[in-house]
Amino acid sequence: MKLDPFAVEVIRHGLSAAAEEMSLVMTRSARSPLLREAGDLSSAITDAQGELVGQGRDIPVHLGAMAYTVSETLKRVPASTLKEGDVLIYNVAELGGNHLNDVKVVRPVFFEGEIVAFAVSLAHWPDIGGFWPGSYYAKAIDTFQEALRIPPIRVATAAGISDAVVQFLKANVRDPESCEGDLLGQIACTLAGEKRIIELCKVHGRDMFVATLSRLHDLSEAEMREAILALPDGVYEGEDFMDDGGPGDEPARIHVKIIIKGDEATFDLSGSCDRVSNFCNTTLFIARSAVAYSARIMSGREMQQNGGALRPLNIITRPGSILDPGLTAPVAAGNHETSLRIVDAIFLAMKDVIPERLSSGGATTSGMISFAEPRADGSWKMLYEVHAGGEGARHNRIGCSATRVHLTNTSNTPAEMIEANYNILVEKQAIRWGSGGGGKYHGGDGVVRSYRVLAPSMHLTSSVERKVIAPFGLHGGLPGKTARLTLSRGGETTEIDGKSNLVLQQDDLVTIEMCGGGGFGPEV
Amino acid sequence: MTNIWEIGTDIGGTFTDIIAIRRDTSETRIAKVPSRAHAPVQAMLEAIEAVGLRKSDVKRFIHGTTRITNAIVEERLPKVALIATKGFEDVLEIGRYRRRDLYRLDIVPKAKSLVPRELCFALNERMTHDGRVLQALEEVEIERLVTWLKGTSAQSVAVSLLHAYANPAHEKMLAERLKDVVPYVSLSHEVNAEAREYERTSSTVFNAAAMPIAVEYLSELEERLPLGAGLQVFHSAGAMIPISAVKRRPLVMAMSGPAAGVSASVSIARQLGKSRVLTFDMGGTTTDVCLIVDGQAEMTDGKLLADRPLRQPMLAVHSIGAGGGSIVRAGAGGLTVGPESAGSEPGPACYGRGGNEPTITDANALLGYLNPATKLGDRIGIDLEAAAHAVQPIADRLGLSLMETALGIIKVANATMARALRRVTVERGIDGRDCTLLAFGGGGPMHAAGLADLYGITEIVVPAASSAFSALGCLTADFSFLQQQTLRAPLDGIDLAKVSERIHAMVALTLEPLLANGIAKSSIEVDLVALMRYAAQADAIPVPFTLPLDPDFLREQFLKKHRELFGYATTEPCVIESVRVQARQPSTTQVGRPGIDTRRTEFVPRKCSFDNAHDVMTDVIDRGTMSAVITGPAIIEDAWSTVVVPPGWQAAPDAGGNLYMTRVAA
Repeated sequence: MKLDPFAVEVIRHGLSAAAEEMSLVMTRSARSPLLREAGDLSSAITDAQGELVGQGRDIPVHLGAMAYTVSETLKRVPASTLKEGDVLIYNVAELGGNHLNDVKVVRPVFFEGEIVAFAVSLAHWPDIGGFWPGSYYAKAIDTFQEALRIPPIRVATAAGISDAVVQFLKANVRDPESCEGDLLGQIACTLAGEKRIIELCKVHGRDMFVATLSRLHDLSEAEMREAILALPDGVYEGEDFMDDGGPGDEPARIHVKIIIKGDEATFDLSGSCDRVSNFCNTTLFIARSAVAYSARIMSGREMQQNGGALRPLNIITRPGSILDPGLTAPVAAGNHETSLRIVDAIFLAMKDVIPERLSSGGATTSGMISFAEPRADGSWKMLYEVHAGGEGARHNRIGCSATRVHLTNTSNTPAEMIEANYNILVEKQAIRWGSGGGGKYHGGDGVVRSYRVLAPSMHLTSSVERKVIAPFGLHGGLPGKTARLTLSRGGETTEIDGKSNLVLQQDDLVTIEMCGGGGFGPEV
Repeated sequence: MTNIWEIGTDIGGTFTDIIAIRRDTSETRIAKVPSRAHAPVQAMLEAIEAVGLRKSDVKRFIHGTTRITNAIVEERLPKVALIATKGFEDVLEIGRYRRRDLYRLDIVPKAKSLVPRELCFALNERMTHDGRVLQALEEVEIERLVTWLKGTSAQSVAVSLLHAYANPAHEKMLAERLKDVVPYVSLSHEVNAEAREYERTSSTVFNAAAMPIAVEYLSELEERLPLGAGLQVFHSAGAMIPISAVKRRPLVMAMSGPAAGVSASVSIARQLGKSRVLTFDMGGTTTDVCLIVDGQAEMTDGKLLADRPLRQPMLAVHSIGAGGGSIVRAGAGGLTVGPESAGSEPGPACYGRGGNEPTITDANALLGYLNPATKLGDRIGIDLEAAAHAVQPIADRLGLSLMETALGIIKVANATMARALRRVTVERGIDGRDCTLLAFGGGGPMHAAGLADLYGITEIVVPAASSAFSALGCLTADFSFLQQQTLRAPLDGIDLAKVSERIHAMVALTLEPLLANGIAKSSIEVDLVALMRYAAQADAIPVPFTLPLDPDFLREQFLKKHRELFGYATTEPCVIESVRVQARQPSTTQVGRPGIDTRRTEFVPRKCSFDNAHDVMTDVIDRGTMSAVITGPAIIEDAWSTVVVPPGWQAAPDAGGNLYMTRVAA
């Protein structure tokens, strides 16, 4: 079929706009501050085969994993069994999963009786059951301890939303009321996506629409191949370390061997350490997501991020390793800690080849701490906060302060919103001046935030990396300062482990000081 | 005949538009003069001369301006000091953490703080979210602040204390003490009485930065055009506001220009009885769109200005960085339009002033839509060769002819516009295809038919005076005033007496400036809107209501609207987040058909290209004299604008000089 190049562009716009609209619907109708204030959600559209064709301006790590969320599911739930009006919900690792908190709601979009696309909503549920409020258990031995595992279930059909499924989910989470509102928001969000996709099919015709999706993959593939071809052939190795969790709880190694050959690139991650003893393992899809992001940065080009852009990439992980630990390993924090370390390792591998496309090490940790407060009725109120550190400097500019980097992009919850919704007083919210590493261009500074507990008790979870191993500088730039997490109780201040679950008392003060970014080039 | 003219002006980046209407006869005159960035008042006076009037002829002078917006976007701002609660003085540097582009490390991820660190002061004081004083503001602390402030070179001060929206006592104390220390003070609870410290502080700093600029400029205007109460500024929310009020809250004119265009659209929509209208104002560097439902423009609570949040009630004008000057690029990833623009200097390649990058205007020129004999603003001619030279590399890359490429560029540009239209309609749960497209600005009438085809819109109106439409809006808008207050009242167990009393007080406050202008109370209409949400949500949905307050009605309407927007509703508790009151005297201004342009050129047919119809000899019609229905292909021109009527479309004028465009029945 001969494609009008301009119609292709029009449909490409339409897909991005549809995905952006989905996220807007989700944010506006959500109940949890984590979704409505911090925006820990993403929306995507895939083609009928489940390959990503459109995405919102959301969170890259989600979007990277969502590239597999539908395609893997179709292997288990054949498209032929799906009917118009069906909406699937699931979160398990093997179906393009990243961690159990990120629940996917997927709607097949039918046009003239056939599936033409899928609308996918991903939202981070503040709690999804398991051992600890918030569903992050640092010492979990497996995923069963982490949270509720949901295989693909029809949460809605043409007959409407399934009350049984909704009740089942509500019975297994600690904040059932906001969970229901958020879930309805996710379903509404896929409905919005469906509407726009059908419009595109009506305007352009189904055949043109379907052919265009395939063409979009080809365009991104061509762009990615051209970019790889422009890189010098060779083998490039890089490694970086997680603070702990390796053998003997020593730093855990993340290693990459990149083989550039012609217009294809292999990312061999098998040199990374074995499955770790905490929640920093990752699913296979997280590893792929990190590589997809890094390859896009390495390309230095603008392109539509879709399935085609992944075709020239060969990604190898070693079964039993931290990045391919099997389907029941705990992975809650690997999603936003280990994933970022993969990006670090890749940047270090390429630092001499394309320094002008990269940045020095940034705050490659979520800096997440969450507070859970029990209500009288036995349900819990959840505050999940990520913290921004410094961006790594570049060859021609300083790093930005208080910025989320690479695969992450969630916002803070404003202090005024926290105080209005939780029994917490935010005593300080400042820049940690001087935390960025020096250099010709210095790294950005991290933030400092202090939380005073006003409730009789709260359950705290931490997922903070870069407390031991600092974000690196490049080409003579100095590393940024490491992160700190402390607890002040009764006049005494102690360190809190970066991966921990503990119970706080009234008047406790928890302070996080985020790491700074690394500098670039020697200081003059 | 002195003192009977009303004048509206719109001061844009390139041109200052003026429209003058004679009160008794509705005689209407239009002109355009070059804007003067460094002497805006001078340009306004020149505009008055350009329509053949003297200052003494003018009764009312209302203007919209992008002066504040431009100063903010170009970061030509006076030095502002920020006073914040201790521990929160870095709020602007921190922002919301998010970076603007997911995959680009080359661009700086966030907008930098408008206030440098050395001008941020940490004040010992603290309120709680429910308005209790946690730490009192002591006298010695104020003295410490005053001493510090005297040692800085700050020209204006922004005060943004934590939870000031819940209890403004400390901000008010500071205002009292600082009024003799610095000339300008902006208080966060006055600028934006809402929770979210970053957004409120950012808005307050914008206001503080705008104050010195606005006061200097408005004072000069008052001096050189002493019309007293007749001198007014156009408000971002689509109303007028007296100069004295603008000086204190200059931020209200941040979206002044686009809001005036929308207000003119509102008048036309009412006049023509169109219940759903999408405005499409395409200029040189930006395109503004807005939705009008049942004669009311949609409102919003804020927008991003130069990547920084600005929170205040304003018309929900969605601006995108694409206009005639937007640069077109071709890569393997596809064809893109903007956001880079050739601006007015050097401008599109076809302006022949040194621009060599291909723009949307160049594509329009190649397709024959621009009259090669016309001079824009008496200065700029059309150089087709330069346009072809700029577009050729894209055609080569795509392997298409120059005409096919130009048509494609227009199509892609229209797709960008369609996205903007979608944005403003879906936010309100409305299907844009049911709307009438109201096209104005330099590019609007040129692109309207193509955009309508793409979007499924079946009716277009190109209003009379379409090229000076924002200036017209200043004159045809309702005389209105607006108040919005945060209530945060749960609907369950609502204290009806207390809330009603508060709303009545707001109504009285809103009526005040109208009554002070001698307007009879009987001719004033009051619109009430409750902004409602579920208790656990953050975003509120507007629900119109009337007094006496009926909680059951509000709940029912909220659920209905929520269902329209999101496809579902629940039985969760709801909250009235805030209430908006608008008092207005409906406009009575009559607009005449503008006089025939005396500088018109010959209207000879020329070759134009359309989808599936290349190089067609196309009639060129004089808009000033056309009276019959024209069937496309045709080009309709006046001195300032071009209307493209492609094959398959027709255009018909009405008595008021508006053009109706519809598809020709097959």
